[in-house]
Amino acid sequence: MDKKINYKTLKLKAGLELHNQLNTKHKLFCNCSTDMKEKTPIRTVTRKLHPVASELGAVDSAAQFEYLRDRNFHYQVFNNETCLVDLDEEPPHNINQEALYIALQISLLLNCEIPNELHIMRKTVIDGSNTSGFQRTVIVGMNGHISYKGKRIPITQVSLEEDAGAIVGEENNKVTYRLNRLGVPLVEIDTGILENFTPMEIQEIAYSIGIMARSTGKTKTGLGTIRQDVNVSIRNGPRIEVKGVQELSLLSKIVEFEVQRQMKEKPKEETRGANIDGTTRFLRPLPGANRMYPETDIPPVIITNSYIDEIKKNLPEPWTNKLDRFKTKLKLPDGLAREILGSEYLHLFEKIISSRKVEPTVVATTFTSVIKDLVRRERIEMDRVSEHKLIEIFDYLQDKRIMKEAIPEIVKYLAAYPQNGVADAFAELDLRPLTADDVKTISGEILSQPGMSFEKAYGIVMSKVRGRIDPQEVMKIVKSMMK
Amino acid sequence: MYTHEIQDLLKSKKIKVGDKIQIIRGKQEYVGILLPRIKLGDISSIALKLASGYNIGIRFDKTVKIKKMESGNPIRFKPSDIQIRKDSNKPTISILGCGGTIASRVEYKTGGVSPVLSPSDLLLAFPELGEIANIKGRKLFDIFSEDMSPEHWKIIAHEVVKEINSGVDGVVLMHGTDTMHFTSAALSFMLKDLPVPVVMVGAQRSSDRGSSDNLVNLVCAVVAAARSGIAEVMVCMHGSLNDDFCYLHPGTKVRKLHTSRRDAFESVNVSPFAKVAYSNKDIEYLRNDYRIREKRTVKLDNELNTNVALIYAYPGIKPEFIQSLSSFEGVVIAGTGLGHVPTNPNNDPHTKSILPAIRNLINSKIPVVMAPQTIRGRLNLNIYEAGRMLNETGVIGDGCDWTPETALVKLMFAIAKSKDMKKIREFMLTNIAGEISERTVV
Repeated sequence: MDKKINYKTLKLKAGLELHNQLNTKHKLFCNCSTDMKEKTPIRTVTRKLHPVASELGAVDSAAQFEYLRDRNFHYQVFNNETCLVDLDEEPPHNINQEALYIALQISLLLNCEIPNELHIMRKTVIDGSNTSGFQRTVIVGMNGHISYKGKRIPITQVSLEEDAGAIVGEENNKVTYRLNRLGVPLVEIDTGILENFTPMEIQEIAYSIGIMARSTGKTKTGLGTIRQDVNVSIRNGPRIEVKGVQELSLLSKIVEFEVQRQMKEKPKEETRGANIDGTTRFLRPLPGANRMYPETDIPPVIITNSYIDEIKKNLPEPWTNKLDRFKTKLKLPDGLAREILGSEYLHLFEKIISSRKVEPTVVATTFTSVIKDLVRRERIEMDRVSEHKLIEIFDYLQDKRIMKEAIPEIVKYLAAYPQNGVADAFAELDLRPLTADDVKTISGEILSQPGMSFEKAYGIVMSKVRGRIDPQEVMKIVKSMMK
Repeated sequence: MYTHEIQDLLKSKKIKVGDKIQIIRGKQEYVGILLPRIKLGDISSIALKLASGYNIGIRFDKTVKIKKMESGNPIRFKPSDIQIRKDSNKPTISILGCGGTIASRVEYKTGGVSPVLSPSDLLLAFPELGEIANIKGRKLFDIFSEDMSPEHWKIIAHEVVKEINSGVDGVVLMHGTDTMHFTSAALSFMLKDLPVPVVMVGAQRSSDRGSSDNLVNLVCAVVAAARSGIAEVMVCMHGSLNDDFCYLHPGTKVRKLHTSRRDAFESVNVSPFAKVAYSNKDIEYLRNDYRIREKRTVKLDNELNTNVALIYAYPGIKPEFIQSLSSFEGVVIAGTGLGHVPTNPNNDPHTKSILPAIRNLINSKIPVVMAPQTIRGRLNLNIYEAGRMLNETGVIGDGCDWTPETALVKLMFAIAKSKDMKKIREFMLTNIAGEISERTVV
């Protein structure tokens, strides 16, 4: 990266739109599951979209007509995750109260004002990602703020909306979407204009906001569940919107690249898509006037003061307090504390720490690096390992039946044999902790063989004792015995 | 409408709906366009459209301050400047609006949705229509389909005759879907010797949305009216969940069989007349027993006696209920199974027969007609004791496969024509407009 870029003189301005799916039992306007686990569609429904006349005029309508004329949308239907509401074949049910509660919690954590009456809106969308031709969305908070490095970061709006269908493929004029994502509750958090921040600071602000939403313990985690859009402009130039940044760690890079691009090319006002490498590509011109009108099939929701008071009373601990607590009480280093706060296993971490006598750093590291490494290097599938089994591992650790070194071996085993439990892993993998004497006996046998170098001997010993004793200790023993 | 308190305040500040206003409530300041108050929700909340396009409601109390910032300009839709030129190579059809908004316009500024009905607006909304036919059009009335009455059927029939006599090649009727099958049955009986197709059409999804089934339904209906050879009253609606084709259902055999799906309409006990493909506008004929398009003079027969009742038979139905129907001049009973009601031939102590009450109605010259509450299938009053007893009592309908709705409409005609029980029976049991099929298709 060009370190010499002075973002202050460039007058870098950015705005964030952060989207996070909520982990509710049901979708926002129907009682379908929000799991998004089904892989095989039970059928496909084919649809057209056509323009609707509005005051935006005949030209607008004609342009839409041309765009939509030959386009066919194919919608994949899943057994438990799609119903007639998703297919736009049944009117929406009333708004999901669980989702509303969480969205209001998030609004309050971000210090927003809650409107007295929520009006559900239809936002016209013509890319086919919504079977209805619009996305339902409702403002649940306004005029909030968080603080970052002592500065006030404005939160202009928090809205609760239905997620769109996920695109599966596009060829010629046929676009395929899967409908198990359509209708999953999504909270969108919009910041005001962020001025005088570096790209890295902008990324940290996004992190702070995201983790605030996660404080509820009810946001979905994992790939595709969080999407960030960022608006970037320099020197009061046009505003460029970059959509769909899925990895938070890419955000600063995207802003940097976008600034560099805008310095080189003369930017046009447009929407760009985020590439995996942090660069961006042109998507479409920015949408013009807001195409929003009321969702008349769902009555407005009246928010009483007593309801707000009830939510305030049960508000989850904000992440800043949690960070302090993790550092002081649990003695986690700052980096690890932040990592576990951002982890999808945060709630599991907290559960284990509060109910079992185990070293918090060991638990945090298991979730932030051990499991991540196994997924990356050994491609294990963590959705095959249930939460209660992960908790049980720490029961074994608490009872000193295993060493912390055994954890990766057990997790690997559990992912390979989802029908088996921790007890099976313990029995089959032979994970009883070893004493120094045990290792000495084993090392003695190995070293008695001819032509043993230290590396070779250590390797063989480790393969026999892995997961049952600290490798540092093995190294010490083998070294001392070689002398 | 807002509460009087809000209305008075707005009046005193000369604020009208559509004006840009500022509302201060506590520490919060909101700026937006004042919206009309919808009936749902809290009428003491002021509805505001924010600059972002979102609407919110702000609860009004004495501490709330309102200031007018700008007067709103009423939105005027420019009438579409589409020139309607008559193309003598194309057929000409009439589109008549009978309520039910098959086309609307959205006003994003205030969020209002208003129906469009003029031919030029229809062409603007559905440019494809102009490629199929020359379009004439007008609105007859604008009511919800559930408010449609037999008087409306008469007006529609009268207007259709006027259009046909003016020389059009087909008529399309836009109609709300709830009672469309009643109207289609009535028109089937009223319009005799039709020379051209009369196609009823509606939409199951509101027309403000880009996904509405209105486009496919209307285009297929216009194709059917302009090009099909079927000179019958038909209902043209989606044939599946896909936006691919519509069925042309016979007016007396069609019924709405789902509350919300776009393929809610089905032909009962018979095949639809034809399929119209949306993509290439092809008509695939599925039957050949329809009246063909031919030059002839349509005759109007719209005499009705609407003093009729349609009731459901159900376990525990009270004889008093049946007796209370004696003020009507005709009764249709949607019976269970093959056409049954409780008759209690085994004298079970828990059951009350309504047979004597039915007999009393018939004896006092009130025809009683049976129809299947199962909707699908044919009545047969010879299989079980209950059926045999109803048949002997003089209940009309053995062997018929009409829907309860079509039976009701037909009874209105029958009792308008004669008071003679024998003649009424004969009329009812004679197939007039396809309402009784000879054989039940598999």
